[in-house]
Amino acid sequence: MNKIFQLSMIFLFSMSILFGCKQEKEYQYVFEVNEENIYQSNVDKTKQKTPEQYISILFSNLFSTTVPQQDLSQLAEVRASIGDKQMADEIILNDFVNSGNASTPTDQEMRADVDQFIENTYIRFFLRKPSPYEVLELKQEIEGDTELTPEMIYQAFALSNEYKFY
Amino acid sequence: MKRRSFIKKAGLAAAGITGVPYILPTGRLFAATGSRVVNHVVYVLFAGGIRNQESVGQQFLMNQNASLPEGNVMNNMLTGAPPSGNLIHDPWAPVLNTPMMEHGTLFKEVEYKNGPTGHYNGHTVAMTGNYTETGLNLNINPDFPTIFEYYRKHSDPNESAMNAWWISEGLGPYPSLNYSQSANYGAQYGANYLRPQSILGNAGQSQLGNAVSYQPDDVDRINRIKNILDNNFAQAGEQLPGIQNTPENREQIKNFLLQKMEDTANGNLDFATPGNDPNLLTGDLINISAAWQVLDEFTPELTVINTTNLDVCHDDFSAYLYYLHRADYGIGWLWNKIQSHPVLANDTIMVCMPEHGRNLDRNNIVDANGLGAYDHTGDNNSRRVFTMIVGPDDKVVQGQVLGSPSNPVAESIDVVPTIAHILGFKDSVPSNLMPGRVLDEALI
Repeated sequence: MNKIFQLSMIFLFSMSILFGCKQEKEYQYVFEVNEENIYQSNVDKTKQKTPEQYISILFSNLFSTTVPQQDLSQLAEVRASIGDKQMADEIILNDFVNSGNASTPTDQEMRADVDQFIENTYIRFFLRKPSPYEVLELKQEIEGDTELTPEMIYQAFALSNEYKFY
Repeated sequence: MKRRSFIKKAGLAAAGITGVPYILPTGRLFAATGSRVVNHVVYVLFAGGIRNQESVGQQFLMNQNASLPEGNVMNNMLTGAPPSGNLIHDPWAPVLNTPMMEHGTLFKEVEYKNGPTGHYNGHTVAMTGNYTETGLNLNINPDFPTIFEYYRKHSDPNESAMNAWWISEGLGPYPSLNYSQSANYGAQYGANYLRPQSILGNAGQSQLGNAVSYQPDDVDRINRIKNILDNNFAQAGEQLPGIQNTPENREQIKNFLLQKMEDTANGNLDFATPGNDPNLLTGDLINISAAWQVLDEFTPELTVINTTNLDVCHDDFSAYLYYLHRADYGIGWLWNKIQSHPVLANDTIMVCMPEHGRNLDRNNIVDANGLGAYDHTGDNNSRRVFTMIVGPDDKVVQGQVLGSPSNPVAESIDVVPTIAHILGFKDSVPSNLMPGRVLDEALI
């Protein structure tokens, strides 16, 4: 009886070590110039970015560098000069994406590997991987519309609700 | 028909007749509130602090030294002989054949009765129709509703910000004047705000110069992808503070701005200067030139613009006269443009008023020509302004001059109710919000 009890205790102890408290593994990805925490899902994003955060993060996402002080000052001036702030942000984004300096894949590169483009774009803007359903939806759009460009997709991501949160 | 049923149907029919908007012969749709004098008002805050002595007083340099000449440096707005000598302001030939005062009524002596004579205060009084004690240059929206909010809430049938514009020469506190903090009005009734000098100038060209105008199909593509992304995210971002255009209007304005930036870069914009010379532009003239582009493109019903360069008078009286002369040219140029526009001509009233005056006594600063400068610290002279109302000869009394230094005939707070009357919504606004009076003497 004693032997059975001892064996049971050893078994339970072993099980508790093996399965009792599994530590959550935190992934750290090195993304472009900044180290970024990758979200497991979008439910963690609950705080809305300020306009200043939005512009400076957008700049970093598109140009892979921090926004220079003179640019930031001029961007603030331009934004103050337009009453409809949504419109101001849309024009600023439009300029960023079409500047020729944003690291944007070509249309050919996008269509050569649509799955990879979608995953890269989600990580770049949303700091997370897309779900299979999200990949499917976007893939259908890209493959079904030959005039949909990476620049337009980047603008849609930057204007989305999820991008306004962190 | 049963009596109860008859009464009910008759009542509904009567409500329909009185409540449903109707279409005017001009094609304009609006609810039956009040009759209009005209359908467009351009309100020019001839601002920066202008003394009546150098403007409607036409005293030129006489106040500096009695031996120096007097004369009219505002040859587009005012009738009067130019100075005979000492022409420090590099005169431009007038753009108008007859001065504007011949096309309307000049209230030569108007009082800015209460509150500090600061630029922001003066603008606030002029745009809300209420005196304010608010301190200088506070970057906050005014307490009382602005003329834009009255207009959009009580008049504009589509409640569209495309019909109301506030176009300012400066930034600082001025962007805050497109709507108030009033609980019953606010941003949803605000005006589109624009500071053209930033958009068309270095900042805009540097930061927005690569933006492209998308075709409607491409806008649809971007919105379609955005909608897919939004459907997979539970939260909607709070709306940004301030006015919001409809998506369609936003696209129109974006394309307009990008086109005007391109026109500016290529030297194709219509400038308010002699010979369309961009080298002669001042900040005020850039603002007036851009205001014309907005008027020409969108034909808004209510447009407010300002000048501010004249504030140089704090330390340079010669430059003040220079800017006074140029701002006058710009206003004449704008009036001339309006007269040749198919929609705006004969259906527009322009109102011009400085936000406040300047002191009677000089400060200690003397400019390169030995002329003394003036501040605006609230003495009686800095509370003296003028108001000019010009428009079609069957709507506005022509060539009339009212008031004198000993007989002020109006107040700064009177312009807002006057515009409300012109655009037909005065009676819809609660009377306690507009303490001023309608300047009926100017209207037929």
